[in-house]
Amino acid sequence: MKNWEKYLMGPSKERTQERVGRGITGLSILMIGLLVGIILLFLVGKGSQLFLKDGVSFQEFIFKTVWAPGNEVYGAASMIITSLLVTMVAGLIALPFALAVGVAVTEILPPITKKIIQPIIELLVGIPSVVYGLIGLTVVVPIVRQLVGGTGFGIIAASVVLFLMIMPTITSMIIDAFQAVDQDQRRASAGLGATRWQTITRIVIPAAKGGILTALIFGMARAFGEALAVQMVIGNAAIMPSIQGSAATITSVLTTGMGNTILGTPANDALWSLALILLGMSLVFNLLMHFVTRKEA
Amino acid sequence: MTKAERIDRIATILILLLALAVVGLVITVLGLILIPGISHISWHFLTSSSQSFETGGGIFDQLFNSFYLVVLTLLISVPLALGAAIYLNEYAKQNWFTDSLRLAIEVLSSLPSIVIGLFGYLVFVLKWGLDFSLLAGALVLTILNLPLLTRTSETALSQVPNLQRQAGLGLGMAKWQVILKIVLPAALPGILTGAILSAGRIFGEAAALIYTAGQSTITVNYQDWNPFSPTSFLNPMRPAETLAVHIWKLNTEGLIPDASAVSSGAAAVLVLTILLFNLGARLIGHLISKRLEK
Amino acid sequence: MLEVENLTITYSEHPVLKGIEMAFPDHQITALIGASGSGKSTLLRSLNRMNDGIASVDGHINFHGVDINQPNANVYRIRQAIGMVFQQPTPFPMSIYENVVYGLRLRGEKNRQLLDQRVEESLRQAALWNEVKDRLKSPAQALSGGQQQRLCIARTLATKPEIILLDEPTSALDPISTSQIEATLVDLKQNYTIIIVTHNMQQASRISDWTAYFEQGQLIEFQPTEKLFLNPKEQQTADYLSGKFG
Repeated sequence: MKNWEKYLMGPSKERTQERVGRGITGLSILMIGLLVGIILLFLVGKGSQLFLKDGVSFQEFIFKTVWAPGNEVYGAASMIITSLLVTMVAGLIALPFALAVGVAVTEILPPITKKIIQPIIELLVGIPSVVYGLIGLTVVVPIVRQLVGGTGFGIIAASVVLFLMIMPTITSMIIDAFQAVDQDQRRASAGLGATRWQTITRIVIPAAKGGILTALIFGMARAFGEALAVQMVIGNAAIMPSIQGSAATITSVLTTGMGNTILGTPANDALWSLALILLGMSLVFNLLMHFVTRKEA
Repeated sequence: MTKAERIDRIATILILLLALAVVGLVITVLGLILIPGISHISWHFLTSSSQSFETGGGIFDQLFNSFYLVVLTLLISVPLALGAAIYLNEYAKQNWFTDSLRLAIEVLSSLPSIVIGLFGYLVFVLKWGLDFSLLAGALVLTILNLPLLTRTSETALSQVPNLQRQAGLGLGMAKWQVILKIVLPAALPGILTGAILSAGRIFGEAAALIYTAGQSTITVNYQDWNPFSPTSFLNPMRPAETLAVHIWKLNTEGLIPDASAVSSGAAAVLVLTILLFNLGARLIGHLISKRLEK
Repeated sequence: MLEVENLTITYSEHPVLKGIEMAFPDHQITALIGASGSGKSTLLRSLNRMNDGIASVDGHINFHGVDINQPNANVYRIRQAIGMVFQQPTPFPMSIYENVVYGLRLRGEKNRQLLDQRVEESLRQAALWNEVKDRLKSPAQALSGGQQQRLCIARTLATKPEIILLDEPTSALDPISTSQIEATLVDLKQNYTIIIVTHNMQQASRISDWTAYFEQGQLIEFQPTEKLFLNPKEQQTADYLSGKFG
């Protein structure tokens, strides 16, 4: 006779396996969590050195427009403004184009168009940002030089490059948002005698509003954090932006500056403070997206 | 025709014109970069080393470095992301701890690559003393790759029907065995597709690498298969300029006279490779799901 | 062999079973019947702890006199001894042969001869052997729904459980497959104790020896099947059987 008590209470291979599985996967996720914590801690630590150790005030850093590390003047306002400006312009130009493509693909053209367009958008989303920078350098900058004058490098070229870069992403997300709108709502609207355009403006776009906004914010967040494509075409002069002249964004100054400063010096600390601002802004974009999706739900 | 119908017609035409403008723009842009680029691609271009001051250099080292870095990155990031995805999808209970882990991954995905690159420069390159190296680059790309890879793996896992898990548990299997033997094989196409797509993304990454994998390439010996030998092409401790970094470098401080031809050729190679990754992902996902259906 | 004592099961503060007392007769088929939401499926799933982490259990479920819900009870051994077959057929995406030996392989069984022998034995017991003996290597998912369900029964049998739990095993199948499975179950009771949840009262009366009627989380009546169907003690059971309720 089997000793059931002992058998049913006893250890078995499965128990060990279970412990191993939980251990391995739990460790992976913990490592990722820890990593994020460490990244944030490091960036906050390094980014606050300028204010804590080097005696630059936070207000001065944010509001002053003169950036002259050689003279120990660290005003990042011109870069912050330029970053925001090129991001906004890129997003605002991209939005109508992306909406038009979205409407055309989901509401007007036959479904086969979507099958053709999807892989193309996928490819465009996947094109590395240096390639967009190269396009900017070889195509956009000369055109800007002809039309506006100056060297062609500057905020116009940067905005155009960012616009080209984020438009595929925004378009693809907007198409998804339109497709998520219930087909029955379109039929119901048409059944009440609405034209297609009336259905699009009164039913489809309002229903997809949250998705459209999320797409725009997502694209702008990408533009704000983009470094190399911008750095290649903006001219890299850390002064207030102007139509013709060179300018610099937070990311472009980080790209060019990090290799030219020595770790621990105020000039280097100032760059880490810029990185911290970049981090803060990406968290803000993230928060905005959360806010939009939560409001929708 | 009523007013509403007239507006409808005009709006439709306007929308189509705008969409057409976008298509034209995309074709122009792709054409401007690909046509001169592709005409510059040759066997010589792909298989010879780059030049510092003269014309006629190729991109062989950079191309190899890019692929090698993708392999190294996937070796680190796939197991880690898969483990995390399994935990989140199979084991995690719904509580504040899980929520904060998910939030952490989301925060990670929103960090600009230059910020992650600078973190890598500070920690891996300087603090850990890895210097500019493939390993430092792979670690940084791992950080960049983890959120997307975790998300695609989790989606793939969550699409496996629950019945299959229950059947396994009902046989008295450990949950871990159910995951390894039943859930993972079923989720494989999705996981693989996600991994290849992420490979395409990291293949073109440059901002995170300029301060980690470095902006220069040393002469290496492609016959030396010992990864611990300093001049071996497999040595993960050597600095390695990738194709994307090469394009950036040529256009910011390049000294060769044919910089624009070389960089458009390199850009074309980059875009075509990513196209191959995309097609490969589709194909493999398709093939595996077809095989499983049989 | 299997007894339930004063069992109360709660889903997020909401009790679905209240004070159940019953002893399942060995080597017999017991049918659990009742309307949806009566708690019969919950009871079945708690008998091999498939409700772990979902519901909280109060009271005792004793298997060979051992309370299976004790904190250090080995849930895997319990499920190996008390197997379960689900409503939908759940073949794994592999060959028929591999499906049957799945549980054995995981327990480390490598002896080819023993595996072969167990495959034949289990498939015969599940009345599937003659239909599949020539294509054991072909994928299980190519079988018909009824064959898949019998394969799942064979897969459970291969691990030699003592008790088999079945959760509406024929509700997704056509009448012919259903009658084949019913015949299989009647054969199996010589060697196994069988507990089946069913919506189909004819099925309960055709194959079970004992029937338990549940209503709103309570066990109303537990009798030999013939007695319960022909001469129910409780008015509620009579109402349910005559279609006045449920």
